[in-house]
Amino acid sequence: MSEFTSLIHNENIKIYSRVRTWVMLFILAFISVLFPALFHFTSSGGSASLMGLWENFQTTLTIAFFLNTIFTVVIASDSVAGEFSWGTIKLLLIRPWSRSKILLSKYISLVLFSLLSTAVMMLFAYGASLIFSSGNASANVGSFTAFEYAMLDVLCSYFEMFITAALAFMVSSVFRASGLAIGLSLFIMFTQSMFAMIFNPERYAWAKYLIFTHMDLHRYILSDTGPAGITFGFSALVLGVYYLLFLLVAWYVFRKRDVAA
Amino acid sequence: MSNMAEVVKPVASLMGVSKTIGSKTLVSDLTLDIPPGQVFGFLGPNGAGKTTTIRMMVGLISISKGDILICGRSVKDHFEEAIANVGAIVENPEMYKFLTGYQNLRQYARMVRGVGKERIDEVIKLVGLEQRIHDKVKTYSLGMRQRLGVAQALLHRPKLLILDEPTNGLDPQGIRELRDYLRRLCIEEGTTVFVSSHLLSEMELMCDSVAIIQNGKLVDVKQLKAVGDSIAVSSVETLFDVDNPQAALELIGRGQLQPGGIVLEAGREEVAGLNARLVAAGIKVYGIRTLSRSLEDQFLEITGGEGIV
Ligand SMILES: Nc1ncnc2c1ncn2[C@@H]1O[C@H](COP(=O)(O)OP(=O)(O)OP(=O)(O)O)[C@@H](O)[C@H]1O
Ligand SMILES: [Mg+2]
Repeated sequence: MSEFTSLIHNENIKIYSRVRTWVMLFILAFISVLFPALFHFTSSGGSASLMGLWENFQTTLTIAFFLNTIFTVVIASDSVAGEFSWGTIKLLLIRPWSRSKILLSKYISLVLFSLLSTAVMMLFAYGASLIFSSGNASANVGSFTAFEYAMLDVLCSYFEMFITAALAFMVSSVFRASGLAIGLSLFIMFTQSMFAMIFNPERYAWAKYLIFTHMDLHRYILSDTGPAGITFGFSALVLGVYYLLFLLVAWYVFRKRDVAA
Repeated sequence: MSNMAEVVKPVASLMGVSKTIGSKTLVSDLTLDIPPGQVFGFLGPNGAGKTTTIRMMVGLISISKGDILICGRSVKDHFEEAIANVGAIVENPEMYKFLTGYQNLRQYARMVRGVGKERIDEVIKLVGLEQRIHDKVKTYSLGMRQRLGVAQALLHRPKLLILDEPTNGLDPQGIRELRDYLRRLCIEEGTTVFVSSHLLSEMELMCDSVAIIQNGKLVDVKQLKAVGDSIAVSSVETLFDVDNPQAALELIGRGQLQPGGIVLEAGREEVAGLNARLVAAGIKVYGIRTLSRSLEDQFLEITGGEGIV
């Protein structure tokens, strides 16, 4: 039997041989350059033009992360569902590899993509921010320098995307339908703050176990506690449990599933 | 023959295999040994459960009851070891359309040990895809995809080749090549081939034995080559096309009247003798045809000529 890394290599080839992957990465790079430029050219002496490098960078990434999440969810949703809709799952599963390992290789390649797309975004946003920022030094945010704050912000956005992608991966594995996986994950991404508002943990005690309450980690950058005195540690724990649950369900279903038709 | 079968360990054994989905039994209590070095046919009308059985053999669907051993390893408990001996096509071989044929083969080559560039090229040549192997699979015709499917199944020199309707979509040339190739594989590399097909006449040309399945149950296992070898000595139903069937019948003293002639069982030498006698008696013989019962007839007879169940 060959190495496990060759399974990951195979999955990477499936992702990067498709034109659409490169279109996604190109759009991400484009958006990341576009917004610093827009901030620069549309503001005539207003406050925006005074944005420092890291403020510019951080604002751009906040916007670009929406797109990044959408693209990562698309890749996550196609990972398993695609094999079923193409019919290639039959030839994939009759190799001397357990289904668990095949699923794991798919998941790893998905995480690698999310890291790559985020890196592309950061790189281009940084470059563009360098060019289009005023010489002003970025102001500190709370106890953080602007640079530290921007990095923490990116990290929080990445985690939110990471959880959303795991959800998409699970739905894709359970229902073998990439459309459903994309739709459902994006719905949750866009509505989670609304749900968090409706099911306010200050009003309903049980709401502090909902995933919506915790997906947005940004608030912990500047404050130690969230609504109803929830701590970062608690949020991390709840998210961790949801994350494991998503992967466990995906794994269980994928391992047991009858591959017919 | 039966002695040999006892000594030689089967490449695959299906032991009381059943598959139920909900309340429906798709395959019930199938027991079958596939002896090594044979082309073994798997025959049955539409919906008989051939594909379902093959899916169980390669671990795509779970086995409800019983077990399947491949080279002595259970597909249920030691999947990876068992499947390492298998190359397969299950229904249409679907490939990654956005990759080239070559890239597709590389995918599968990477998943096993010891399949290098030379082996890939060898297999490509074997299935006759050299011209198009670097084109994207989405530009392939059905037959070309089928050839690529055969190529991926052969890549790692499996001991057992399982092909579900491999001739589907192949042109006569392709069918013939596949047939010759399977035979050669069987003889030269000792590969065992388990092949299901709708084309009964194909099976006759290709297989040493066939198992016949109907309604998910094994109906019969037949040795074909044994029948083929003895054709010269055994008697075959033969039609004599003559101008006066009644006179011919009286002269020979057996057989049946049929429009345009008489039909009787006769060996090879006997036919020549009978012809001479008829001619000597002044009966005109327009033609002599053997009405050997094809596998198709036997198949229809065994399965009662039922269609899809
Ligand atoms: N997922 C499923 N759920 C319920 N019934 C199924 C399922 N898959 C197949 N069947 C039924 O099982 C029976 C056997 O199907 P199978 O595909 O094994 O037949 P087959 O012998 O391969 O036929 P064909 O010659 O048409 O390929 C059929 O009656 C079919 O309707
Ligand atoms: Mg079938």
